[in-house]
Amino acid sequence: MKLHVVFNLSGSEYALPFDSVLQMESYGGATMVPGAPAHVDGIVTVRGMVVPVLDLRIRFGLPPAALSLDTRIIVTECEGRVVALRVDSAREVLKLDVEKHQPAPSIVSERSSGFVNAVHPLGKRLLLLIDLPKLLGENSHDVQPRALPDDDGSNARPRLPS
Amino acid sequence: MTATADLKEFIAAYLVEAEEHLAVANSQLLLVERAQRDGETNPRAVRETFRSLHTIKGLSAMVGVEPVVAIAHRMENFLRDSDRSGGALPQSAIDALLAGVHAIEQRVAALSRGDDAAAPSEELLASLDSLGLAPVITPPPTAVLDLEPAMLAKLAPFEVDQLVRGIAKGQRALRAEFSPSPERAAQGLTINSVRERMAKVAEIVRVLPRAVPVTEAAPGGLCFVLILLSLASDEVIASAVGLASTSLQSIVRSRAELPPELALDAMDGLSALIVTRFRLARAIASLTERGVNTREVSEIMTDNARQLRDLRAAIVRVRMVPVSELLERIPLLVRGLQRATNRAVRLELEGGRAELDKSVSERLFPVLVHLVRNAVDHAIETPDERVRRGKPEEGLLRIVCGSHSNARLEITVSDDGRGIDRSAVSRKAGRAVPSDDAGLLDLLCIPGLSTREIVTTTSGRGMGMEIVKRTIVEELGGELEVHSQFGQGTTFTLRVPLTISIVDAFSFECGEQRFVVPVAMVDEIIEVDPDALVHVPANDDGSPAVDIISRRGVAVPMLQLAEIFRLKASRNGASKAIVVRRAGAPVAFAVDRMLGQQEVVIRPINDVLVRAPGVSGATDLGDGRPTLVLDLVALSASLNGGANLLPRA
Repeated sequence: MKLHVVFNLSGSEYALPFDSVLQMESYGGATMVPGAPAHVDGIVTVRGMVVPVLDLRIRFGLPPAALSLDTRIIVTECEGRVVALRVDSAREVLKLDVEKHQPAPSIVSERSSGFVNAVHPLGKRLLLLIDLPKLLGENSHDVQPRALPDDDGSNARPRLPS
Repeated sequence: MTATADLKEFIAAYLVEAEEHLAVANSQLLLVERAQRDGETNPRAVRETFRSLHTIKGLSAMVGVEPVVAIAHRMENFLRDSDRSGGALPQSAIDALLAGVHAIEQRVAALSRGDDAAAPSEELLASLDSLGLAPVITPPPTAVLDLEPAMLAKLAPFEVDQLVRGIAKGQRALRAEFSPSPERAAQGLTINSVRERMAKVAEIVRVLPRAVPVTEAAPGGLCFVLILLSLASDEVIASAVGLASTSLQSIVRSRAELPPELALDAMDGLSALIVTRFRLARAIASLTERGVNTREVSEIMTDNARQLRDLRAAIVRVRMVPVSELLERIPLLVRGLQRATNRAVRLELEGGRAELDKSVSERLFPVLVHLVRNAVDHAIETPDERVRRGKPEEGLLRIVCGSHSNARLEITVSDDGRGIDRSAVSRKAGRAVPSDDAGLLDLLCIPGLSTREIVTTTSGRGMGMEIVKRTIVEELGGELEVHSQFGQGTTFTLRVPLTISIVDAFSFECGEQRFVVPVAMVDEIIEVDPDALVHVPANDDGSPAVDIISRRGVAVPMLQLAEIFRLKASRNGASKAIVVRRAGAPVAFAVDRMLGQQEVVIRPINDVLVRAPGVSGATDLGDGRPTLVLDLVALSASLNGGANLLPRA
């Protein structure tokens, strides 16, 4: 059994191993950094460190969302880097049986650009497990510029199964 | 720039140096042992042993001999602690240290035979580690004073304080010895006359009489030790008093022995204090707005500001290392390279008295190594070739460091070698022949420019220059220039800030976002008169629009910061422009409005996701949010380079 942080993004639930999370904070926006990739909101200060904020919606090709009182950043540490992930909300810490992780169906891993490496059924729920090293990997600054949603939201990707 | 690749170049010179320092360490340790047997201490020998091992460790790390680093590191740590506590060592420690020196000798011998250095035995490392298990001795404030414990004990706390303060103010702390004798009295030299004359050239902190064995020099068996503070040189003091200048001795410990980690911790603490102060100031301001009388609190804040400034100055001084420290390993490098490349090179080093932040120095060193290696390896011709070209057989490599302005250090690395063949470099890069040195540098710094071919076909340079540029320009916020004349030689000029952590900065607003820019970087802040602007037709290559603004009759190019950063332009247009100088030429950046001037703590921005040209870090102005610290010099450089600043936006 391993502790996981569960967060919500565009109606789907995702999980991250607890030991890669430094802290969670409410979020009121970041300082823009000129020239940063579209999925980077900017920088915030966490424990005296200057940390980039990665907007997971943009990273996963989902339409951008306005800030709300529920918006959280999850500050993660991976391979020496500290990066904050902006998510719609994060409320739960759950113990998950790692044995029950299942490989992600190909449609899931495709739609999440390969950042989901496993799924975890939990009663009626399905948690998507984030591949953090891959998410923060070298190519993470090498993505498409920020796309604005069309008026009818037609370029919004279909939701991942939940 | 990895150490392993260079191993062969260095190893011959390394062996020579290592053997010398091993000999010193051995003989000094034997002196320590003798003193210990006699129930005494020999702090000087302990310190010499420490220095030798410190050097051996540094050299070994440089050539990648890890087993020796592992041994020397442990010995060095223990000796440093022992030195701070007056140089007392138990016999068991001396045995372990001698075993350590012996183990290093074995490894150095193996290397000189062409074998690998064996990893140290667990047993040895354990015995050296156990030395460090002795209670940690925190250095008392008197650690900066190099005086025997017995003498230190005789000084009153306020006298120690007086010395420490004097040293912090830049005075030299000295001890002078005077032994009265009938002969000297006949010359008018008595302790009273010495005191009187000394008082004219130095501040006498204390005079301590001391009984000494009766000798010819001290027939009365008495000696006076004068503890002094002075700005005058030994010679001036000695001649004013009528003593030999050899009777004067510094009692200040060299700075290299102060633990830099301690200074870094202190700096972090200070950073937190300064941020807290901003928050306090804001809280007070809002109280004042609500009509609360805050006069007394404001006065306390003024005191607090002064104390923080003093504290900061003190910490910065500890963190500063002399430039000479940066250069001390260069001769070894050049010696190794000469042997490896069959070049004859005369090295001229001019370190000057400048000091720079340790963190700057650490980043600068690999860059210097790189430039030096390029110069010896590729630029300077073989002796035969030099003679054929009518040059002296011995090539000249000159490294000069000097303070450029009060906040910047300038380092030039010049050689009298081949110079760079511009047309060959441009062919290789597939670009037009650069018309000037700046254009040449841009070519040299193209990432991945095939270096070997450049080196062999033109004997110019290209290898890894982009790393040099990245370090100097992006990491350190400095400037890099090259000046090369084909056939005559090449000079690289580096300008870097002396310190990178707390700076006096202007804050301003642009496109509804706040920014700061270090005061040291700003030439002038000028009003923007919209009617007096001349608009320059824009290229359609996406480079930002340029206006011309007249400053005291001189035309200065002006860029809109809001446009460069793609920020919301202000409705009223820019009201102020910040003028910086890039390679001597002024460039203005239009901003919405200036907010003020304050000291800010710069935090580095490390993650690749948010590294941007022209942004040297972030700071906290008290609102809990990072504010970008801009390097407008680097920003203008990145624009002039023709590169689109925001390819991804």
